[in-house]
Amino acid sequence: MSTTDKSIACESARLSLPGWLTDELSITDRAALDAHLAQCPDCRAELVASQQLWQQLKAVPTPAPGPAMRTRFYAMLDTFEATEPVAPPTIWARLRSWVPPMGSGGVGPRLAYGLLLLGVGVGIGYWLPNGRSADIAYQQQIDTLSVQMQEMREMMMLSLLENPSATERLRAVSYTKDIGEADSRVVEALLTTLNNDPNVNVRLVTLEALAERAHDPRVREGLVQSLTRQESPLMQVALADVMVKLQEKRSLKPLRQMLRQEGINDLVKTKLEKTIRELS
Amino acid sequence: MLKVKAGDLNKMGLLFERYHRELFGFLYHMSSNPDASEDMVQTVFYRMLKYRHTFTGEGSFRTWMYHLARNVVIDSAQQHKRSARHHDVADYAERIGGGPMADEPLQKEQELAMLEKALARLSAEHREVLVMSRYQELKYEEIARILSCTEGAVKVRVHRAMNELKKIYLNSEYNR
Repeated sequence: MSTTDKSIACESARLSLPGWLTDELSITDRAALDAHLAQCPDCRAELVASQQLWQQLKAVPTPAPGPAMRTRFYAMLDTFEATEPVAPPTIWARLRSWVPPMGSGGVGPRLAYGLLLLGVGVGIGYWLPNGRSADIAYQQQIDTLSVQMQEMREMMMLSLLENPSATERLRAVSYTKDIGEADSRVVEALLTTLNNDPNVNVRLVTLEALAERAHDPRVREGLVQSLTRQESPLMQVALADVMVKLQEKRSLKPLRQMLRQEGINDLVKTKLEKTIRELS
Repeated sequence: MLKVKAGDLNKMGLLFERYHRELFGFLYHMSSNPDASEDMVQTVFYRMLKYRHTFTGEGSFRTWMYHLARNVVIDSAQQHKRSARHHDVADYAERIGGGPMADEPLQKEQELAMLEKALARLSAEHREVLVMSRYQELKYEEIARILSCTEGAVKVRVHRAMNELKKIYLNSEYNR
């Protein structure tokens, strides 16, 4: 046997040693190992060393857990049970434990079972609507809460719109995205901002927010009316765009009116003419 | 366990009675710290309750228990990474007082203490296969299921763990 062959054989034998120690070798592996050990003193020595270590390891003592551990476990179990909602299977298991096992008796016990099941059915019938009413109550609670949230957002937005800082007013306008169906106070406040806010950025953002609510007739009307009130070319162009997007024919009159205004910006003029063409 | 899963939480008490010693033994040999091991036993049983829906019943309860226990060991090791301290043998000497060791010669006792320290210095990967095989007396097949690997991989790991342990132990003997 060459040195390489021997080292491969030793390596494979040593891999089998743990299996030998725990008596988990297959018959063929065991035979192969025994054959190798018979002719390899190194591996025999290795086996003896491993065996000694293995036995010593077992002698390392394992202390027993303290008695407090059991107490703590049962306390934890109790707390867990108390905080966990009782799952339906438990009710079923309890029901089953109340019902005595079905005997091989005559009609009597079976009839009793039948009646019992009927009783259970009627009981469940009474019990179910209760469950549903609990659901309804829960839903109502959630609805109330979300209505309150909405009101709070509206309040916050309205008060922020009055803020002297343009950044705060911008923030107020962005809040309207979170408000589902806006009530008339919100729409009014937004239209007022659209027409009167000194900052053109705030007005532009407000226009954007209002355009998203254009399905509301009050908003549409407010937007049309706003056309003649805007003096900034930026706002005039943006409003004209919104009108095209909404296909708002009512805007034709104020648009033509704007064209007639004196000192109108050339770019705006071209834009307005284009808008009128697209709408008519 | 399937009954616990179905909502009969009282059955958890039976499982505790049957397995808490074995579990404690595993955690003790993995951590060398009896107090921490008691805490970990508690955590494992808590997780069994909390995650009872994840027990499929396909593998054995024992395999599942070791899965959870290994995770708890890993979590706890991460928690104590910085303040890592190896439990001193003297700490538990009183706890096991009266055991078979009490009457043995002092030298033998020291050797075992050193072996235990050597075991504690093994990598977690090597330590756990030795603990499972030697103290928990799990078959390679079971260990493979717990570690989600092949039986062959377990054999190689045990072999390497034994070599590493021998090296550490012999070094510490020479340095005595």
